[in-house]
Amino acid sequence: MVSAVASDTVTGPSVPELWKTRHDKERLQWGSFALLTPAFGLLAILFLIPMGFAVYLGLTNLTLVGPTAVKWGFTGLQNLTRLRSDTSFWQSLWVTGFFIGGSIVGVVVVGYGLASLLMRANSWMRVVVGGIVVIAWMMPAVTAGMTWYASTTQGGAFSVLTGLANTNFLDNWPVETVTIASVWSMTGFSMLVMGAALRNIPSEAIEAAIVENASSWQRFRLIVLPLLRPTMIAVVLLTALLTLANFSLIYIMTQGGPNGATNILPLYSYQQAFSYNNLAYGALIGNVMVLIATVFGVLYVRIASQRS
Amino acid sequence: MKHGDEAKVAAAVRVIPASVDPPILPPENRETRQSVVRRTTTHLILAALGILFLAPMLWLLLASIDSQATYGVEWPHFSLINFQHVLTGSLFHALWNSVVLAIISTGIASVTGVFAAYALSRRRIPFKGPLLLFIIFTSGVPLAIMVIPVYEIFSRFGFLTIVPTAIFLSVTSLPFEIYLMKNFIDAVPIDMEEAARMEHASTFQILRLVIIPLALPGIAAASIFGFVNAWGSFIVPLILISPTNQQPAPIAIYTFLTLPKAQFGNMAAYSLIFCIPVFILYAVSSRLFREGFVLGGGVKG
Repeated sequence: MVSAVASDTVTGPSVPELWKTRHDKERLQWGSFALLTPAFGLLAILFLIPMGFAVYLGLTNLTLVGPTAVKWGFTGLQNLTRLRSDTSFWQSLWVTGFFIGGSIVGVVVVGYGLASLLMRANSWMRVVVGGIVVIAWMMPAVTAGMTWYASTTQGGAFSVLTGLANTNFLDNWPVETVTIASVWSMTGFSMLVMGAALRNIPSEAIEAAIVENASSWQRFRLIVLPLLRPTMIAVVLLTALLTLANFSLIYIMTQGGPNGATNILPLYSYQQAFSYNNLAYGALIGNVMVLIATVFGVLYVRIASQRS
Repeated sequence: MKHGDEAKVAAAVRVIPASVDPPILPPENRETRQSVVRRTTTHLILAALGILFLAPMLWLLLASIDSQATYGVEWPHFSLINFQHVLTGSLFHALWNSVVLAIISTGIASVTGVFAAYALSRRRIPFKGPLLLFIIFTSGVPLAIMVIPVYEIFSRFGFLTIVPTAIFLSVTSLPFEIYLMKNFIDAVPIDMEEAARMEHASTFQILRLVIIPLALPGIAAASIFGFVNAWGSFIVPLILISPTNQQPAPIAIYTFLTLPKAQFGNMAAYSLIFCIPVFILYAVSSRLFREGFVLGGGVKG
């Protein structure tokens, strides 16, 4: 019965132009808004309003407890002045930069390396190694944080494997260790998408290059890299956004310590708001985070909308 | 939270993630000495990387079945007592809270999301372009970083409990769910909907009888994304749920680390149990993705 409908719509060169243009699609129906309202209502109430509220909150003296928890008000740029001279904030910003940058480099390099090596490997290796990396990526951040905490402590698996069994990695190289853990927990997705992108490269292009006697480095630089570029950019931006928000992993592993060495912005914001009770100041740090996320987000939207 | 990442990249660059396809590479027709060396190096590097990736997980696996587990990796004193311990009392209750949290959040996001996705896919909507850009933007930006203002709002209304938190979690996964479902609904042939409209079907009937069944792989994949997002969320329940008996499993895992006397075996067993639904759902959803993108033969039927 469905096929009857389909075969009725004959579209040949003889069909008048009028038949091909759709008139029913252009009409504006009020019902459409009814369909959109629940989802966009939720987004407005729990995303747009809090975002606007956070901007205001950042310029107030609200605290979690005490007299200013009840009677609080606008204090102008006071918090901003404080932010400017807050060394912990600048340290946190630097740590965040290192954490994001290190994660991006690791995720892209290890992900690409694994994807291209796995293409040449036998099927057994592909299933086992690919599987392990994907499982690491699927693991919820809380669990990943806990396993990394356990394995980088004195006598932990990672410590033993690197031959430094008596070293506590989280004391000696805190920010490097959490960055490695973050790379570990995100390489899986970059491996999968880069693998898919690599398989989409037409084999003729590579064969032609081999015929032309191009070296493997030339093949990589002149064929693979340009074709992989959009995928890589998307991986970089998403990794940046996800690492920026990766509160759980670090909170479980170090809680931002020792001495703020791993205190990325979400942790510092949380710490100010809920440990030092400065809810307003925490919100202001949150706003800085939203600002950074917006930059990456806008870039992400640009490549996403260019493609579609 | 994580498992949509791959799909987000795919959405951005139009690459279909498929992890099992055979590689398309120029055939290595001559087994020269060079190629043997090359193959061996490839496999050695891969084995080394595999071990490095496996090492942190090893502790989790071994400690969970070890009745005397420590932080070290050692041969276990095999027993299942850890699993028995963690599936009782408040720890089990925390897992149950996680289920409640994730189901409420997924339900809200999927139901509201499918309506919005349908409207965005098929209807004429003013400012549709900017609206779609907003959706893409918010699907990339982790909305959980908004948690402080939400805390302040919720605390005023006395909303620091499990249900409002689930609603906030649904909003954090909503944009990506809409985006994903819209792409799948776009792929449902319009002819079928027109056939239904000829029979005077209402919008709800069309959604229920045509769109939802045909876009089901996409809707299921989106729901799984929402579920995993809520299931694994740590900072949101940490800040937004104040009653201890409503806190979900991630908070319980964190509480293990704050105990004066660490129970390593229980910790590992509990974390492992916590991971299992995520692994299963991921396996289901990657299958759905592969099916979903080849949809479109419906009209030929």
